[in-house]
Amino acid sequence: MNASARSEIFARLREITGEAPAERIQRERQALGSAPVPAPPAAELCQAFLTNVLKNKGTVDCVANRTEAVTAIGHHIYSHFRSHRLVAGNDPRLAAMPWRDAGVLPRFGSLEVGEPVALTFAQLGVVETGAIVTWTGKSNPAANNLLPEHHIVLVDTADLVSSMEHAWGRINLELEKTGRPRGINFIAGPSSTADIEGQLVYGAHGPRKWHVILMGDVPADALALARAAVPA
Amino acid sequence: MEQHSDTFLDNASAALGNTAQAERRDVIAAFAPLIRSAAVEGFTEFDALRQHVKRVRQHSLDHLEYYLGQFEHEAVHNGNHVHFARDGDELNSLVLDICQQHDARHVAKGKSMVTEETGLNDFLQRAGLEVMETDLGEYIIQQAGETPSHIVAPALHKSAGEIRELFQAKHKLGDRELPETVDLVSEARQVLREHFLKAEVGIIGANALIAENGYSMLVTNEGNGDLCANLPRVLIVCTTIDRVLPLAQDATAMLRLLVRSATGQSQTCYTSFYSGPRRESDVDGPIETHFVLLDNKRSEILDSDYREMLECIRCGACLNHCPIYSAVGGHAYGWVYTGPMGSILTPLLTSLEQSHALPNACTSCGRCAEVCPADIPLPDLLRDLRHEENSKKLSAPRWRLGLKLHSWLTRHPPLYHALTSIVIPVLHWFGRKHGNFERLPLAAGWTSQRNFPAPEGKTFMQQYKAQQKRREQGKHER
Ligand code: SF4
Repeated sequence: MNASARSEIFARLREITGEAPAERIQRERQALGSAPVPAPPAAELCQAFLTNVLKNKGTVDCVANRTEAVTAIGHHIYSHFRSHRLVAGNDPRLAAMPWRDAGVLPRFGSLEVGEPVALTFAQLGVVETGAIVTWTGKSNPAANNLLPEHHIVLVDTADLVSSMEHAWGRINLELEKTGRPRGINFIAGPSSTADIEGQLVYGAHGPRKWHVILMGDVPADALALARAAVPA
Repeated sequence: MEQHSDTFLDNASAALGNTAQAERRDVIAAFAPLIRSAAVEGFTEFDALRQHVKRVRQHSLDHLEYYLGQFEHEAVHNGNHVHFARDGDELNSLVLDICQQHDARHVAKGKSMVTEETGLNDFLQRAGLEVMETDLGEYIIQQAGETPSHIVAPALHKSAGEIRELFQAKHKLGDRELPETVDLVSEARQVLREHFLKAEVGIIGANALIAENGYSMLVTNEGNGDLCANLPRVLIVCTTIDRVLPLAQDATAMLRLLVRSATGQSQTCYTSFYSGPRRESDVDGPIETHFVLLDNKRSEILDSDYREMLECIRCGACLNHCPIYSAVGGHAYGWVYTGPMGSILTPLLTSLEQSHALPNACTSCGRCAEVCPADIPLPDLLRDLRHEENSKKLSAPRWRLGLKLHSWLTRHPPLYHALTSIVIPVLHWFGRKHGNFERLPLAAGWTSQRNFPAPEGKTFMQQYKAQQKRREQGKHER
């Protein structure tokens, strides 16, 4: 490390900003409170989340349980790729799913070149932004989010949080428990670019399609209401 | 990056002469503000958010030494190497050293204005490395040997046709024609994917550094930055010391402002937080990670009257709303940062001597300050720079003389009123037939482009006083 650059920069900053005790600085930050959060597009959480996922140009599905989830996943893969193959991280929650019932053949691990579909079990879904949150680790290789043609994400309704502040609340608990993961990814849509004449194109580098499956106690009309709110 | 700000006026004339590009700029200038306002209108507390983030930013800058120290501590704890660079040259050498330590030949780079500022690509390429920009816009301009024209959308000045020709010249296309925009994107995706897989080093920027946990935040739509951060063996994050925020929630609060102001989204496709090298249980990710934190005059700005400029979150909204930027485009500014923010940053980061034309590229319309999510009083800072330009005697002597005369006159109101009450009726009389002038002495700058309207016959103050008098009389009569 360039020690003299470091000490020079710090000395200069100290000269400019002066010194204050850490507790006082932290108290000052605390007094500033939290940021206002935009109002959700619907009062009901699932509907609001689905609406925002659709706005992010994701496609959505709702299922009640794990059996329905594997069926929906199988259906998605087959209808797009005429195949039942899929890559998923070593997530114990995914390993425990009844894959055989839907005839899906998952390979657990990291996406390899030539494999078009990956499945991620999201840690969280953020209602405010329609984003899903994952973090790197054995159960979720980064390649699985970034390299497939289609990225399928399963979100448990129990893991929906209303805002990014609440997401950090949950993430920070996790960090305390298991340490800091290398990467925390908020993903909100298929990879896109508007760099050529401002025209929006999907699949810039990462997935061309982003399919979110919300699993659990989803109100019967949530999906229809979300679809109605977001013109295709 | 080489600087050409001293020839701003010539650059601007040349840009205005390129009709095709000027027309494209008109289209962008029409739709970019609409996208932003649609995103902001739906969020009633946008202004409250702006004020909250501003307070947090001010607090972070007030205690920058503390928060930078905390960030460094946490980042080292997370397994990173943290380096500091006083200027661009130091940053470039640090990065090259790291690449050489790993015998790297190929570098994959995410979009980073800071490394544009330091001219990192050229520096690494001169040392024999193959450096590939991976953001599509950056890739296009790198292939074309150009510089970014916009901080968010660097290649928006190029038409799809020009990009097609570029790919035809640079890629082995065979008989593929790439008729649609989608085909152009797919082509770049293919070429860049290969580069990602062979790169030994990835370089990205950071939209924020989080002091409490040592993570950096990266915001993209393409996901290219994430590929840079996850696929190569070594990751280097290059950013400036002023990007530190106290808490993770501060970074995402800023994100709320940034994405709405930049692209009209509520969240970009990829918002990623990286903390360091591959953990034991990880199956992928870099094995070594570095932060290179650059000062390059940020501490000087912190210590100046332009401190607020450090609160800029690089959203590009001020560019999209600036009539001058829209007319002349980014290249005219002659450096990395363009538009209103660039007209302030360029003199501060290079020198006013080299770039004093830029603060004059302003009509004082105030749109930039209105939309700036960081609530920076851009027109005020531009005016202060013009003031400095004047006191350092950098502007043309006749401009200074004119300003001096004008300021002397306005400080002597009776004389000012006396003079204007002679000139205005005279102009009125001469212009009475057409109602405007095609030519006017001392005002060729105006009349070469449009007619000058003839005054109404009385000065503003005369009309104002007359109106006040009528009102007074009206009151008495009632
Ligand atoms: S000055 Fe304000 S509007 Fe301009 S880029 Fe910076 S934050 Fe955005």
